[in-house]
Amino acid sequence: MGAKYRSVFDIIGPVMIGPSSSHTAGAVKIGRAAYKLFSARITKVTVHYYESFAKTHRGHGTDYAIAAGILGFLPDDQRVPDAISIAEDRGIDIRFVEEDGPSPIHHPNTAVLEVSNNQKAISLTACSIGGGAIEIRQMVIDQITVKPAGPLPIIVYVDYGKKHPNAVELTSYIDQVAPFSRKQSLKGDVDDIYEYDIKNYMTEETIKDIQAKFNHVICL
Amino acid sequence: MYNSIQEIIEDAEQSHQPISELIIQQECHTSHNSRESIWRHMATNIATMENAVLRGQSGKGVFSKTRLTGGEAVKIKHYRETHRTLSGDAMMEAVQDAIATNEVNAAMGVVCATPTAGSAGTLPGVLFMLKDRLHLTDDQMIRFLFTAGGVGLVIANHSGIAGATGGCQAEVGSAAAMGAAAAVEAAGGTPRQSGHAMAIAISNLLGLVCDPIAGLVEIPCVKRNAIGAGNALIAADMALAGCVNKIPVDECISAMNKVGHGLPAALRETGIGGLAGTPTGQAIKARIFGTEV
Repeated sequence: MGAKYRSVFDIIGPVMIGPSSSHTAGAVKIGRAAYKLFSARITKVTVHYYESFAKTHRGHGTDYAIAAGILGFLPDDQRVPDAISIAEDRGIDIRFVEEDGPSPIHHPNTAVLEVSNNQKAISLTACSIGGGAIEIRQMVIDQITVKPAGPLPIIVYVDYGKKHPNAVELTSYIDQVAPFSRKQSLKGDVDDIYEYDIKNYMTEETIKDIQAKFNHVICL
Repeated sequence: MYNSIQEIIEDAEQSHQPISELIIQQECHTSHNSRESIWRHMATNIATMENAVLRGQSGKGVFSKTRLTGGEAVKIKHYRETHRTLSGDAMMEAVQDAIATNEVNAAMGVVCATPTAGSAGTLPGVLFMLKDRLHLTDDQMIRFLFTAGGVGLVIANHSGIAGATGGCQAEVGSAAAMGAAAAVEAAGGTPRQSGHAMAIAISNLLGLVCDPIAGLVEIPCVKRNAIGAGNALIAADMALAGCVNKIPVDECISAMNKVGHGLPAALRETGIGGLAGTPTGQAIKARIFGTEV
């Protein structure tokens, strides 16, 4: 099993708006992952909370944190506490549901996000493991279910219309600049999805390089 | 990446380097960032910590929206100015800075999570007191955080740092262990003494539950950081005195993980058991969020 925490700055950091690294900063990251993954205008979000998230989201500010992430904010953005009204102003319908049952991924800090507009919908199942770190355990994109190992970073490439079968070039490039522990190829009816579990954090330059070379690559 | 504290200690002893140096090298290697860049990153984290500490004890202090917490760092400051404290001025300085940080956190201010926001006061409490007492330079303060972060990384990967999975021992307990190890290095102790200090700090808070009233990171979280900072300093002093912990530090970390898994959900950040479950805790919850359960 790979390490869940990869950097000394996972432990000394993040710099964030309080009050909770798992229920606030981590929740911003979960929302932000959905924002990046959707990569289009979001109009509707439903957030399902489980276990500790369901019991304590109000006290911890988890709602505004997830809304902040959906807006693309970072955990230390001063607008984080006002994110729900900002989201409403921007026409995003965001709802929160406290689920009674156990987490579908067996973690007490679980959120399942359903994100959509009138053209497409995705879902993302994630947990906040402490200190602001998150794991993404499941994504559903174009009705294709992807189950990453969990820890970030994760690279997702949606091959719309199967134009680049096997994504050989992308895979060998990623292998060079950001070694991965696992690659998954998922075949849908219309599109293919490639998912890479990256071993270490990527520098900003590496992310920019990958995205400049390949369109529609999402680095979570 | 280091897989155990024992590995770090052995590597430090063989290479005659402090733990902080090994962690800096590890970070450069895994992140592909330069030494200068990670050094700068750590310096900005210290600036965030210092801002929170100062904000929490300026004027009348900082108060949370619920008014459940706030203003007590200022009370401690005035008490120190006008009284001979029982546990010593340095200890109460650490407590004051720890409380100040978590009062800022509870008021939705900016903090640096070390390792978590709920336990963000413990490390600054230790660090800024040592800065005054040992006249630490900026570079020594940065090294303090690399040591703390490096040993914290082992704890996070082999046990955990979330109250929801491991209880408060995983948050304030881990923070205290990190602070203890780094304090030993800052005071000129050996890597092995850092290991003993960690083991003592973890053992002393083993089993501590996470029981936030109304699920807010206020009561008892703010004051728990006082005991985190105090515990770190006591553990560091004991290790520097030559006291040893018979249970090796890595086994203490593993015990903390098992204890965390053994805690019932009511005591893992659900706002149900412990202090949250007391009549007063429940009444506060009802006052803030209404009476529905």
